Amino acid sequence: MLQQDSNDDTEDVALFDAEEETTNRPKKSKIRHPVASFFHLFFRVSAIIVYLLCELFSSSFIACMVTIILLLSCDFWAVKNVTGRLMVGLRWWNHIDEDGKSHWVFESRKASSQESKTVSEAESRIFWLGLIACPVLWVVFAFSALFSFRVKWLAVVIMGVVLQGANLYGYIRCKVGSRKNLTSMATSYLGKQFLRQTTGDDQPS
Amino acid sequence: MRSRVREFDSSTLNESVQNTIMRDLKAVGKKFMHVLYPRKSNTLLRDWDLWGPLILCVTLALMLQRGSVDSEKDGGPQFAEVFVIVWFGAVTITLNSKLLGGNISFFQSLCVLGYCILPLTVAMLVCRLVLLAELGPINFMVRFFVVIVMFAWSIVASTAFLADSQPPNRKALAVYPVFLFYFVISWMILTFTPQ
Repeated sequence: MLQQDSNDDTEDVALFDAEEETTNRPKKSKIRHPVASFFHLFFRVSAIIVYLLCELFSSSFIACMVTIILLLSCDFWAVKNVTGRLMVGLRWWNHIDEDGKSHWVFESRKASSQESKTVSEAESRIFWLGLIACPVLWVVFAFSALFSFRVKWLAVVIMGVVLQGANLYGYIRCKVGSRKNLTSMATSYLGKQFLRQTTGDDQPS
Repeated sequence: MRSRVREFDSSTLNESVQNTIMRDLKAVGKKFMHVLYPRKSNTLLRDWDLWGPLILCVTLALMLQRGSVDSEKDGGPQFAEVFVIVWFGAVTITLNSKLLGGNISFFQSLCVLGYCILPLTVAMLVCRLVLLAELGPINFMVRFFVVIVMFAWSIVASTAFLADSQPPNRKALAVYPVFLFYFVISWMILTFTPQ
């Protein structure tokens, strides 16, 4: 009976594995890089806040514009080079070879068995939420600037749309590229599990 | 944006933040040095980034402000104007050189054109200092001389990088818009008065 129970346990663990790739993994809902998560949201949100409240903060258009430009640049660099790497293990960049042709490279960290390198769900949610919500807001601002004829802000808003949209596009391509690998990996893994179950049924318990 | 030639893909995925910052800062500094001492170098072009052009553009636009007491028109349109001229001009030149059949990528060309604004930014700084003295023909001659020298420096620096990417019979066609671009910026610098 005990042997039967242990067989059932291993079957349960195998089913668990079919959805995720490694065994004995604790719940990954804690935030492993609080500083990176903070800065990921800080630059984006403060750029939007400064844009909305610029009239209240200072009467100088230039100070507001320079501040927003600096915040958008810092946000672009931080999200592209730091927070994407740390929070979700994705990276994208441009590579120019000897012929002068430019290639866009999208890479993602392979799923490894090390605890410290797996992606935490909370961080992933924060990352994608910040990545998607802010460019949408900047597009809304672009239309409102255009239609309310506040054209002097249009340069800044377009810069916001372009920079944040570029990061969004790059990371989506990283994610889509990696999912193809995940699909094939999961398929082969499920196939192995299925084989193991059918051959395991043949053996006496 | 940055590009990088990487031998080991995994090494940059896991490097520390400080490494990333130092790497990027060193690359920007190296490009500034290359503009000051222009040399034909293909490896520089491969490693493009747009941080230098952004810093230079913002600095130039800030220096080209007319300090006015009236806070409503506090130089806002002029700031955006400089920004638009620099970036729109650089994009147009890049499109022109690509249409002429050049084998340089879009961002590389933007990078070179942006970094070669450095001499003109230095000229703007010098002009602002010279304008602190009393205005007169000598003042104007000094500024004129400085701007002409820096303008020539910008042209030499940018053609050292850009001309090679064109087929030989098209070089003049590709260089002429660059000449015009830096001429417009030099004109803005020369005709600037702080009133």
